[in-house]
Amino acid sequence: MNNGAQDKRCEIWAIGGGKGGTGKSFVTSSIGTHLASKGNKVVLIDADLGGANLHTLLGVSKPRNSLTDFFEKKASLKDIIVNCGIPDIGLVSGTLSSLDSENIKYAQKLKLFRQIKAIDTDYILIDLGAGSHNNTIDTFLLADKMIVVTLPEITALENMYHFIKNVFFRKLKIILSAHGLKDVIQDVWKNRDAHGIKHLKDVVEHLMGTSVHIRDIIENELATFRIHIVLNQVRSGREIMVGASVKSVCLKFLGFDAQYAGHIEYDETVLRCINKRLPFMLTHPFSHVAKEISKLTENLRDGRQITVTADKYANRRL
Amino acid sequence: MPIEDYKKYFEALELSPDSQLSEVRNSYLHLKSLYSNDSIVTSAIAYELSEEKRHDIVEQVEEAYTKLIDFFENKGSDPAGSKKPSFVVGEELKQYMSGMTSFSGELLREIREKLGVNLKDVAVFTKIRKQYFEDIEREKFSSLPAEVYLKGYIMEYARYLSLDPEKVANDYIGRYRSAMKDKGKQD
Repeated sequence: MNNGAQDKRCEIWAIGGGKGGTGKSFVTSSIGTHLASKGNKVVLIDADLGGANLHTLLGVSKPRNSLTDFFEKKASLKDIIVNCGIPDIGLVSGTLSSLDSENIKYAQKLKLFRQIKAIDTDYILIDLGAGSHNNTIDTFLLADKMIVVTLPEITALENMYHFIKNVFFRKLKIILSAHGLKDVIQDVWKNRDAHGIKHLKDVVEHLMGTSVHIRDIIENELATFRIHIVLNQVRSGREIMVGASVKSVCLKFLGFDAQYAGHIEYDETVLRCINKRLPFMLTHPFSHVAKEISKLTENLRDGRQITVTADKYANRRL
Repeated sequence: MPIEDYKKYFEALELSPDSQLSEVRNSYLHLKSLYSNDSIVTSAIAYELSEEKRHDIVEQVEEAYTKLIDFFENKGSDPAGSKKPSFVVGEELKQYMSGMTSFSGELLREIREKLGVNLKDVAVFTKIRKQYFEDIEREKFSSLPAEVYLKGYIMEYARYLSLDPEKVANDYIGRYRSAMKDKGKQD
């Protein structure tokens, strides 16, 4: 949406993906570290309110402030950004003392979103929790770049598909509501048998057929809706292809654009560093993993994607 | 080819219209393999992927590939400037070739030599590694790539030699399969 009155100075990236343990926090902190090393001011927000641990990845054992201060003590978001020892990176910790994420009220959520957008910095990275709760999805939709971190494992892929489908559905619902067509999607879905609808793409196609007005709205949305894929813990050439395959499934079966931003190889040094609370990007700047993260960060920043060619991996048999 | 079709075919292969021949081939091989076989990527979303739709996708991908290959061959617009086959297939040879039903690696080599083509030309034109064609001719099955890629390579090779790509590939793959099966039994 083009809002001329607001000076859009910073870019918001959200990192989600549905499943826990895919490395979202590691990827968030590493991308942030790379952006900061290139002279950007970065604020990392840990929105994994049920299981916050972004601070640990940045080497902070007990953050002085956290979102608890925002939700309970009415502190403003910019006042709870803590320094995490890495130059130009601020952290909003998600460690909550009592509140759990599902109890956050609608008004609090809107206030948080407003204050996130008002932070004075170059990049804001939001690390999301697992699952497809509406609060998680709405935070994801806040971003200029929606990034999913997944693994070449069937369970991670299942949860990721579920997550991005929900994100897309929710976005359509919000957009249609904004045009005064609040219940259109629910109605179609409720009567899906009558319409012969089985899949997500059928819903979209059906909606687009109902009126020119709705088609224009959806086409407009589809033109900008884009998911960026980061494939983590890759162990072989064949697994690298998984990212390209997921991208194809998104295009052909879910009906929206996805880009393969990059992949990160499996390296047990990463876990060793995390356990010692050492920021990997700084302790291992010349490692293959660090290079892959730098590359995918730049791809994300410039809106590029990687092309992996099957012939390069064709003769590798596992 | 009308410009809309051209766009549609590139879209089916998930490529931008300025893509090169080698990208067309790579994308085709990847998508064909992805939607012809089961993998974690498709199994994880099986409820959205009916067999019927998958079948349609494979057909669309096949069609797009065949049409785009024709396009590249006729226009010669591949920026890399592949050297086109320069030989002429004589009537007698054409007759001889059309009567064939079995295509061993040995026979493919024979036809190629009759046409006065060397493997390097084929490799340059198709942008497929020469090694693969050598292995195809020697029927060195164990060093050949996975079947779906192999089929693509054989079809390219057959097309280059003015043979019927489907006919050659089906015959060759048949032998490849039984050889691999035998090998599996021995292991």
